[in-house]
Amino acid sequence: MKKKGMKKSFTLLLSSVMLLALALSGCSGGKSAGDVAPGAEGDNGKKEASGEQVTITHYTIDSEDRTFIEKLIPDFEAKHPNIKVKLEKAPYEQFDSKLQTLIAGGKSPDVTSHYGYGGFAEYYNKDMLLDLNDIIKEDGFKASDYNIPEDLMKIYTVKDHAYGIPVNMYVTLMLYNKDMFDAANLPYPPSDYEDKSWTFDKMVEDAKKLTHVSDDITKTQYGVDFTWSERDMRPLYFGVQPYSEDTWTNGGVPSETHFDSPDVIAAYNKLFNLILKDKVSPTTEWSKSVAGQNGDAFVTGKVGMTVSGSWSLAGSNDFPFKVGVAAVPAGGNDKVRSVLFVDPLMILKGSKHPKEAFEWIKYLVGDEVQEKSIDLSGGNPPVNTKAAEAYYKHFDGIDPADVKKVYEGAVKYGFESYNHLVTNYSQINDMFINEMQPIETGHKTVEEVMPIIQKKVTEIIKR
Amino acid sequence: MSTIPAAGPTASPSLKKPRRKLDAVSIVSFITLIVTTFLMLLPLFFMVSTSLKSKKELLKFPPTFLPESWQWSNYKEIFETLNFGQMYGNSLLIGVLTVVGTLISSSLAAYGFARYRGKGSNMWFMLMLSTMMLPYPAIMIPQFILFSKLNWLDTFLPLIVPSFFGSAYNIFLLRQFFATLPEELFDAGRIDGCTELRMWRQIALPLSGPALATVAIFAFIYSWNDLLTPVLYLSSSDKFTLPVGMSSFTSSRFRIPPWHLLMVASVLAMLPIVTLFAIAQKRFVEGIVLTGIK
Repeated sequence: MKKKGMKKSFTLLLSSVMLLALALSGCSGGKSAGDVAPGAEGDNGKKEASGEQVTITHYTIDSEDRTFIEKLIPDFEAKHPNIKVKLEKAPYEQFDSKLQTLIAGGKSPDVTSHYGYGGFAEYYNKDMLLDLNDIIKEDGFKASDYNIPEDLMKIYTVKDHAYGIPVNMYVTLMLYNKDMFDAANLPYPPSDYEDKSWTFDKMVEDAKKLTHVSDDITKTQYGVDFTWSERDMRPLYFGVQPYSEDTWTNGGVPSETHFDSPDVIAAYNKLFNLILKDKVSPTTEWSKSVAGQNGDAFVTGKVGMTVSGSWSLAGSNDFPFKVGVAAVPAGGNDKVRSVLFVDPLMILKGSKHPKEAFEWIKYLVGDEVQEKSIDLSGGNPPVNTKAAEAYYKHFDGIDPADVKKVYEGAVKYGFESYNHLVTNYSQINDMFINEMQPIETGHKTVEEVMPIIQKKVTEIIKR
Repeated sequence: MSTIPAAGPTASPSLKKPRRKLDAVSIVSFITLIVTTFLMLLPLFFMVSTSLKSKKELLKFPPTFLPESWQWSNYKEIFETLNFGQMYGNSLLIGVLTVVGTLISSSLAAYGFARYRGKGSNMWFMLMLSTMMLPYPAIMIPQFILFSKLNWLDTFLPLIVPSFFGSAYNIFLLRQFFATLPEELFDAGRIDGCTELRMWRQIALPLSGPALATVAIFAFIYSWNDLLTPVLYLSSSDKFTLPVGMSSFTSSRFRIPPWHLLMVASVLAMLPIVTLFAIAQKRFVEGIVLTGIK
């Protein structure tokens, strides 16, 4: 009798576990859409069968400035009753690995951008992207109808084939600590890119007046932090281009690189001297000790000027000091003074509904939605020039006229970031960070390191 | 914090009379212990302290030791800005079911490996152990395809069901423990007419409290901290687990992470592990006392 009861309770346990498992699988309905779990919910299956409704997936980073598009979906679905949009999210660090798994597992999302570590060129060379030419032609899509400058469209066009529609445009600008300038009795740097007095040397001069190095870390402050964009971009700013011209025409594979040339070395020396010789810039160790591993020493109020992406503006309301924006000073290149980070929306090759995906992309770059997105995202810069006017006014305590001047100058003197346009970029970037570490700490010279970098870049590009 | 050093001097006078004077060595080791304890608690203290600071105070340098204004509302805010409660519940549900699954399947398999001797039983055991050498990324994509064919994407099943099929490390751990149980107990059981399943249930399991507690803790912590699997399989916000939600805090390349909220989340996320440890530790001791074997 007892034995029987034993068995019974064991079977009961097992079967209840199984039931629970079944019940859990049943929960898969609701928000999980037809594409991912067809038949999991009768309702979805019916709609699918009628052959009208399609579901497209938009894959993005799980952070407020990206997932805000969720709030735009209801309106879009109301206007396009045959299309359902589903958002698939991943944290930044896992963005690339989830995307690769989804594609390999045959569950490719329809729309995404290069939000992870990999850039456009990497996606292009892995043959992940859909050529948009046919869809654009059939649809009659014109960038000008959406107030997207033609130049921006060109960034994601390879050999006359478009692979992405720009959606956000971040520029590089200079932020400065107004309180620190006031305390030193210095005039603020100009926001006008045409002001020819605002040069690299003038910036160093100002920075010297703002720098106070003391044994007491709490009293130490530095004039400028010029960690301008990705490390391999920086020579460009002094008029030297380390990747050959053909990089931009054949999908991000340069035929030559010149990282060991005297010009490039001279350019790097100029930047590293800010830390090592002039001592107006903080060392990496100092920045880390003040602001933490991935922190920015500028936001703690210990650095006078910083050259940074326009995304920093979005956090400026929280800084514990007054902040202003200025032009990036001229470094000796007449054409390039700012790095642009234009994020496109791309359709992946695995997409089963590219036309519907394109409808969704068009919706996201339209005037009204682009303007709405500024507030919803907490300050994402639109590509749409009409919506940009609203963006300039978005930041408390910063003069909209300054933001506008800085943006317009940056577009005029801008260059699209290498990280989007050179192949295998995540490996190149990691290599640069590792190899340049000893220069930052003063253990090696630029002259010693650059030939090694040149050799390694060549190897990575050939992969 | 200040109560810890204060407890020392007040406690020692009362102890003075009956006890011998503390010699130099024990004083030094006592002080070392206090200092190390304090150092170990410091990060924890900063976590709690940061969780009560305002966003502006986070950026201050040098950082403040105690919050200038105590923002208890942070603890409310996290439930409002994120569906934190939901994520917490999801993580708990997955964690508990994983523990149940691991305990049932691993102990059954371990019982088999420990009590049966047959042709090739060592070979099977080695084969099972060798699965420990496979790194997760190697099976990630095939497993993803398998679960997507089963229509299990965006459900908790891929996170729970595998635990019902045992895991090499836990089986190994339990097998080693079962192997130490005296054969006589099982012989006695056999004479009384027990089935093998009943001996597993009524002899092996009750005598293995400590080992089962260890396995339960391991399984729970692993499931509680796991990030990659939920990231791969879950896509609706209402199904996210704590690690997914928390790593999204620092996900924006463009914003200063809300460290204060992240710390609130960390404090709250720590609680189940601490509780579980406290409970399991008691069982741990109980297990040893009751069995009287070791």
